Amino acid sequence: MQLENAVPLRWPSGPLEIARRGKSEGFDPEIRQTLERWHDPAALEFLNGTAVDCIAISWAAGLPADAEQQRTAGPLIDAARRRNLAVVGWVDGAGDRKAAIAAAKTAGIEAVAIGGAAGSSDLPAIAWCEREDVPWDSTASAVAIGGNVWPGVNMASGGGAASAGPTSVPWLDSNGWYIQMARARLKAPLWLTFDPPGKGEAVLPRSHVKAICDSEAAGGRWVISLDDKLRSGLAAATPAAIEGWKQIAAAAAFFKGHANWKSYRSLGLMGVISDFAGDNFGLTGEILNLMARRDLLFQVIWKSQAMEQTFSGLQALLYADSTMPDPALRRKIADFMEQGGLLLTSPAWGKEGKPAPPDFETQFDVSAVGKGRLAVARKAIDDPYEVAVDTQFLLSHRNDLVKTYNGASSGCTRYTASADGKTALLQCLSYADGGRAGLRTIWVREKYRSARLLTIGGQPAPIDGQPSDEYIGAEYHLPANAPQNYVALEFER
Amino acid sequence: MNRRQFVSGLGAAGFAMIQPGRMRASAPASRVAIARCKSYGDEFVAAAGKMFDQLGGLGRVVRGKTVTIKINLTGVETARQDYLPQSRTIWTHPRTVGGVIHLLDKAGARRIRVVEGPWIWPASLQEFMLKAGWDPNLVLSAAPRVELINTNMPYKGSKPFTRFSVPHGGHLFPAYDLSSAFAESDVLISMTKIKEHGTAGVTLSIKNLFGITPTTIYGNKVPKDEPAPKPYGGRQEIGHMGSRQPPSSSPSEKNPTTPREGGYRIPRIVADLAAAVPVSLAILDGIETIAGAELPRPGTTEAISPGVLVAGANVVNTDAVAMAVMGFDPMADRGKAPFETCDNTLRLAEELGVGTRDLGQIEVAGEAIEDVVFKFRDHGGPRQWRPPGSRRTA
Repeated sequence: MQLENAVPLRWPSGPLEIARRGKSEGFDPEIRQTLERWHDPAALEFLNGTAVDCIAISWAAGLPADAEQQRTAGPLIDAARRRNLAVVGWVDGAGDRKAAIAAAKTAGIEAVAIGGAAGSSDLPAIAWCEREDVPWDSTASAVAIGGNVWPGVNMASGGGAASAGPTSVPWLDSNGWYIQMARARLKAPLWLTFDPPGKGEAVLPRSHVKAICDSEAAGGRWVISLDDKLRSGLAAATPAAIEGWKQIAAAAAFFKGHANWKSYRSLGLMGVISDFAGDNFGLTGEILNLMARRDLLFQVIWKSQAMEQTFSGLQALLYADSTMPDPALRRKIADFMEQGGLLLTSPAWGKEGKPAPPDFETQFDVSAVGKGRLAVARKAIDDPYEVAVDTQFLLSHRNDLVKTYNGASSGCTRYTASADGKTALLQCLSYADGGRAGLRTIWVREKYRSARLLTIGGQPAPIDGQPSDEYIGAEYHLPANAPQNYVALEFER
Repeated sequence: MNRRQFVSGLGAAGFAMIQPGRMRASAPASRVAIARCKSYGDEFVAAAGKMFDQLGGLGRVVRGKTVTIKINLTGVETARQDYLPQSRTIWTHPRTVGGVIHLLDKAGARRIRVVEGPWIWPASLQEFMLKAGWDPNLVLSAAPRVELINTNMPYKGSKPFTRFSVPHGGHLFPAYDLSSAFAESDVLISMTKIKEHGTAGVTLSIKNLFGITPTTIYGNKVPKDEPAPKPYGGRQEIGHMGSRQPPSSSPSEKNPTTPREGGYRIPRIVADLAAAVPVSLAILDGIETIAGAELPRPGTTEAISPGVLVAGANVVNTDAVAMAVMGFDPMADRGKAPFETCDNTLRLAEELGVGTRDLGQIEVAGEAIEDVVFKFRDHGGPRQWRPPGSRRTA
């Protein structure tokens, strides 16, 4: 089976998982029983008819329980194969890779997920890594990256109030910026690994749905990981658990059905160039995160690929790396600026042109260079928040492509187009868990020939654009029953 | 007539034929005009022009002057009542701003400035308009020499802020530090929607002045000793709750033992401001608005179309007439609608000598109040009075 468009579900079960979790806080008899039940082939029952076509089972972790895990997993693997489910054996970094791969092959497992670049393997491999050590040039079947956040509104511990950024605006946790950054470089499909938060408490199914949407909208695929309570409920086939699982499965099916969206390119007018290495990753990565939260739509340009990429369609570039680009790339960036673009950069670039300050304060000295503008930070760039804010103002909201009204804790909007440019896709996310903020309106600068509203579990429905009352563009009024956390608008030019 | 004479009350005579015999001893009365108006655009311009004529004519007041229009862009720019743009429900409408600018220009205004201090906005007012989905050209191209100023930020002229003392010492603060744009202004216009307000009962031309307090001085998280370089929060801490004082560079409250609740504080602050920075013309838009609160609140607020405009040279007089049009008694005290949980802003401004709220003392031109009454309390859902101090306003 091809793993490129697989929908994987983390499948913790058996002696190895019991051994791994047995000493962790919150481990209790119920969890133990669930891990045992999930090792039973009958547990696969709830996957019938769903989009999930791959289970990622614990295979080796360098523990004594490895052997028993591999010995007892046979019936589960066989049952999965009978159901046309691919099985990926997860090999923890401490495991004996060779022995684990050999055992996986013997057991009939389709692929192994192993640390690092995966290297040579007799089996298809998933390269499993953390954000700090991604094998960017891996040709593995997929690259599974950990170190992600659970998407949602970040709640302050104890107080129950949404934690705030510098301006009291609720903080959104999202992996979208990282996925966009990684996908701009990776050749292999990108999987994300992260688990539900909390120690044993139930996580709402819609939180899992948000996790799927946050990953998929940016072009990644989450290795679905259910919380202990839901796994327990599914093992016992409780109606509540089954109902919750249906919501999650519907979201997975929705995105599996739109696999072509992953090939769409960002329509953002802001290009962000970096090598995303070391401190540059910390700084520019966080700038991307904050831009995404502000719906400042961007395109990621890896410095190593920048000479091959066109800057056409962009209106601004940000270059915040501590070291300046080589002469050829600097010339290319300068040409972009002189032909009418805006360049935001650090003091190392040096000042040029004639001062052209905006009529508001920023941390940049702005000058006119050719037909464009150069914005040089007055001091070394060290505050990603200020950069994101100033960038949006200097680019100007005059260039906004999309606005969302009444989107509760919305952000990280994705606006992309097909390669031929005939279809555009707007994916709107809301990270709120609570009630509605009211009827939602989506404003889009471009006027399209037609539009469809797509929702998880719903039928695509035509939606008419209304002329904007006071400005250019068109407004789309979402029906009252449109789901809060995710909608997509598909436009035809 | 210099600015001080103008703003101290004589200016009102430019618009209205004051009848000294009918005035309250310390609270002036001037004519208020009411017009029916169903739409923005040409109908508004015609109606407003007629109202200004009924008030004595714009030219006598604005010719050769710097005119400042305080508009109202309260709340966050992404919150709407249903699908309706904010300008049709909670904000000053850009077409009414453009229309008034056009009339001011025709009347000979030398320079026209549109000002607002939107919540925590640190950039230009034009940028806010663009983010909010306005076309700034509806305002900027309505006449030559139109400027947009974000009064949250230090003014870029001779000095960033100017201190405005409150006559008679003020209710809450003895003086306020405001953008020096207000000091450079000869004529101040307060232009806003007719609405109810969760903390202050109503939000009309006086309450609109709350937004002139710069959030770099009166905003949350400002430094202790000096203004913040840019806003970091709304006006809750210093304005609504009184949980802290402005930076030491600005005047502190007169009496920090007074109630720390919005229903006490906000009416006093805006009454102080109405006395300290007198408004020469109040223009209230009841063409389209909301009932139930000042900001969209599902289940409470409802979009309504009273189809009425109210304008006058005196903010208290004008707000009193507007309250009557809304179906409220401007003489109502705390506990009575719409002041269930707050003090009456109009009474407090009246006490500072700004103007009378006694409808018996106010001459009304144009439509009669009783012919245009639109009872706000007949619309919207149950009012949800929030705990004092918990509201965000401009």
